[in-house]
Amino acid sequence: MKLLNIKYMFLSLCAVAALASCNNDDEFEAGLQATCGDGIMNGTETGVDCGGPSCIPCEGDGMEPMEPVMPDFTGTYAQVDFMGRPGINTVLSADGDIKNLHNMSIPSEMQATFQADFEARLEAYHDVYANILGADPAAVNYEPNILGDILNGPMDDGYTNNPVSATVLTTVLSNDVLEVAPNLPTTYFNGGSGAPNYEGAIGLTGRAPQDDVIDVSLILLFGGGNGARFSGQDTDDDGMADLPRLTSDGVGLTATISTTFPYLGAPE
Amino acid sequence: MKKSKLFMGLGAIALVAVLLVAADHIDAPGSMGTTADIADFYAFEPEVGSDNTVFAVDLQSNVLPDLAYGTFDENVLLEINIDRTGDLVEDLVIQAIPRDGKMYFFGPIAPNETGLNGTVMVDSPLGSVDISAETAIVETTDGGVKLFAGPRQDAFYFDFFQFNAVIGGNAPLGFKPAGDASTTDDDDETAVDTFDGANTMSIVIEIPNSLLGETTATNVLSLPVYKTWVTTNVKQ
Repeated sequence: MKLLNIKYMFLSLCAVAALASCNNDDEFEAGLQATCGDGIMNGTETGVDCGGPSCIPCEGDGMEPMEPVMPDFTGTYAQVDFMGRPGINTVLSADGDIKNLHNMSIPSEMQATFQADFEARLEAYHDVYANILGADPAAVNYEPNILGDILNGPMDDGYTNNPVSATVLTTVLSNDVLEVAPNLPTTYFNGGSGAPNYEGAIGLTGRAPQDDVIDVSLILLFGGGNGARFSGQDTDDDGMADLPRLTSDGVGLTATISTTFPYLGAPE
Repeated sequence: MKKSKLFMGLGAIALVAVLLVAADHIDAPGSMGTTADIADFYAFEPEVGSDNTVFAVDLQSNVLPDLAYGTFDENVLLEINIDRTGDLVEDLVIQAIPRDGKMYFFGPIAPNETGLNGTVMVDSPLGSVDISAETAIVETTDGGVKLFAGPRQDAFYFDFFQFNAVIGGNAPLGFKPAGDASTTDDDDETAVDTFDGANTMSIVIEIPNSLLGETTATNVLSLPVYKTWVTTNVKQ
């Protein structure tokens, strides 16, 4: 039935039912039941020919309107905080001013705004350990990570033929959005069989609460071509670590999570 | 090699005075410790084969003392942004904002305007749910969307204090090795999850992918993805 016909029928019902307070709001017309115009309170009505899920709202006489009043949501809301991938702003923005600017930015402008700062920050982290190790900071730098082999296939000499340079990595990361694949299993990152072939490697299909996003980030930043460049190695076999442990923070999930909605555990 | 190596090295050491908490927890002076502070963001398929996507956003956290925590702010609008074309501009938003003990959700809908300022999409209500206390109250809409808002455990894990030592140049050995999970891990030799025992104010929505629509955006592995991010927005 066309809406116009329903409207005329509705108006005629209003004329019959003098007690009902009618309006011509289309929202309530389509589902009107026959009892809404019979002059008595019946069916699901909460007043005479009004109220309930099928009739128009009641007015006056202490009757409650059918729909609760919508709270006031007017006004303009301005962005104050932003998050895409975990840890990007925290780890790669060098100071409070850049972090604030990042939170007040939109993703389509982030690469132009932040890539160079992120790359400088990545190099600065390596200088921290160059200084500690007594090495020339200019000689200790980010090395292209395992993503090159994963994305482009392994080559004889690992990363050097498939480099994901500091510029490429920070370009990708500066576009700070969290990707989630509909209808695919969620994997934040999985290196598969590992170096050198990374068979079965997959990732970037979402982030679940159990994912170790920090260790993944550390591997990509400090792991170099095999994912374990700085992992606390004892290079001179004297029983003491000679390289810092930078590819894992050593902690796993401690919170309670659930396999059912809302997935996060009750507060402690 | 960068010419300003020495300068940046010194700059990194100076960072020892700066408290940083990841993943996004109190990440910047401007939003740090406010009721609008985003702590974390998850987006995932709830189980293999599901036709739904889950978005979970944590606001505030009591991981450190004296932070705003415990109450959703009626002046703070949470927005989940979804780009389906790969241009990093939101095509859909899902909004959540509290009023008088309920969290109201709107969308998914194309926003009136993209970018830094917006309005509540009052003509596209999705549903509402009572804000939970300790026990989770879950609402499921006629369209099959599940809604939750309330305090939850902060699932993020990170040895944040050691991270600060690392980036401050005060940890020659880097991060600490994993401790024995079966014992109380309070010695100085092994790693500690700074977020163990922390709570946060969570907003969780599970939504059928059919309500989000097809996406032409892809990740670097050429898999189709939604590109998503969250913002908090304060009433002007």
